[in-house]
Amino acid sequence: MEDATRSFGKGSLPPGPVPDGLIRVYSMRFCPYAHRTRLVLRAKGIRHEVVNINLRNKPEWYYTKHPFGQIPVLENSKCQLIYESVIACEYLDDAYPGRKLYPYDPYERARQKMLLELFYKVPHLTKECLVALRCGRECADLKLALRQEFCNLEEERQESVSAHQRSFLSPLAQETQIKLKAYLRNSTGPEILGYQNTIFFGGDCISMIDYLFWPWFERLDVYGIADCLNHTPALRLWTAAMKQDPTVCALLIDKNIFLGFLNLYFQNNPDAFDYGLAC
Amino acid sequence: MSGSARSLAKGSAPPGPVPEGLIRVYSMRFCPYAQRTLLVLTAKGIRHEIININLKSKPEWFFKKNPFGLVPVLENSQGQLIYESAITCEYLDDVYPGKKLLPDDPYEKARQKMVFELFSKVPSLVTSLLRKQNEEDCSGQKEELRKEISKLEEVLTNKKTTFFGGNSLSMIDYLIWPWFERMEILELNDCVDHTPKLQLWMAAMRKDPAVSALLMEPKALRGFLNLYLQNSPEACDYGL
Repeated sequence: MEDATRSFGKGSLPPGPVPDGLIRVYSMRFCPYAHRTRLVLRAKGIRHEVVNINLRNKPEWYYTKHPFGQIPVLENSKCQLIYESVIACEYLDDAYPGRKLYPYDPYERARQKMLLELFYKVPHLTKECLVALRCGRECADLKLALRQEFCNLEEERQESVSAHQRSFLSPLAQETQIKLKAYLRNSTGPEILGYQNTIFFGGDCISMIDYLFWPWFERLDVYGIADCLNHTPALRLWTAAMKQDPTVCALLIDKNIFLGFLNLYFQNNPDAFDYGLAC
Repeated sequence: MSGSARSLAKGSAPPGPVPEGLIRVYSMRFCPYAQRTLLVLTAKGIRHEIININLKSKPEWFFKKNPFGLVPVLENSQGQLIYESAITCEYLDDVYPGKKLLPDDPYEKARQKMVFELFSKVPSLVTSLLRKQNEEDCSGQKEELRKEISKLEEVLTNKKTTFFGGNSLSMIDYLIWPWFERMEILELNDCVDHTPKLQLWMAAMRKDPAVSALLMEPKALRGFLNLYLQNSPEACDYGL
């Protein structure tokens, strides 16, 4: 993986300027926000280099890249800095040719941004669950809140399926579809095979919004809260489809390495960030 | 003042579809978020109709327009709905011709969005100061507001331009303006007394045709706020 390099900590020398033809991302191998940016870089085939930052022991020079020392940050060969993961992802989509991850249609683009609003509590809630579990605390309330957020996303998935179908169906078929929708809503069993879905949040193909959501869903298992998806079959369908995406696959983090990182991180060990790197 | 039509409240009939060639904005005359959308509509000369919503007595049908029940919401003649003020503004800039408010250059566009993030704590600070107007315990929040505003002053200092996007007015200026207008009216001026570049910016903004067309009447805003803080259903139509 491109980001399998040791992190820079306090006292380290700053990396030089970014060479022409390359873009640099300041990152951390296990950070979900930086993961978004790395997904976009990979999906668009953008030549890039990764500089990992030790978040518990930040280099002094890093504050010249971001006023609060956060990641991810993009730096290009013109020394331009872009931060906030969503802004960085949009910048990459705008600045680089090839496959566009945001739709061309202004309404569809706006819709993806509205979807992002639906998601905004998820990062905080998943982190709080993780911290609670790791500290041996109860987190039933947090998990309930997270499930509620997933239900909102689930409803969106089911509604967009309906909207997609509605345009093609006869009244009788629409009635069947309503029953099917009710089934999905109540289902905790196996997914209906062959049911035509707009499988991704943006339509039939994976697009920006899917990549923006993905990092937190990938982490549910290793955080110990995968059961939060128990009542959301459409979301489970979506995560299964995501795991088939070549970009998602290429960046999937090995579960044991992630667990190793989490163990060290919660012991406040500054070596956590380089866990699993050879030598 | 924008949208002098009385607001629609609970029990009202839903409006019909939006006629072709027009875009509708669900708004409220004193809402700073909706003002962003109105600024962009005005600046780009987009033909639009305004339906004001009584935010203290929301019509049931309004939740079909926006599940969050908030203004602003755009509705076009295809029945498409767009909400979240910043998203509505960007949508309008994408769809409608004429002056582009967001830069074409990807980095400059990203810079505007980063400045927007820098601004993000200001609305809630201004709102909570407005609510506390009669209490003495404002000094902590005023300090916080000053701090956030200083970050914006720094942007102007580093950029050496009049406006946040360069030497002409652009999207980011419209997005942050409504709160600065309110700071002046509601005598939070001391929060900008240490930021000379921002003061120059505010003066320059007032000269913009879209900004001046939508300037609120100070008495009306104060009257609205008084009733709004008491949760009066008459608040949104104050002055009509």
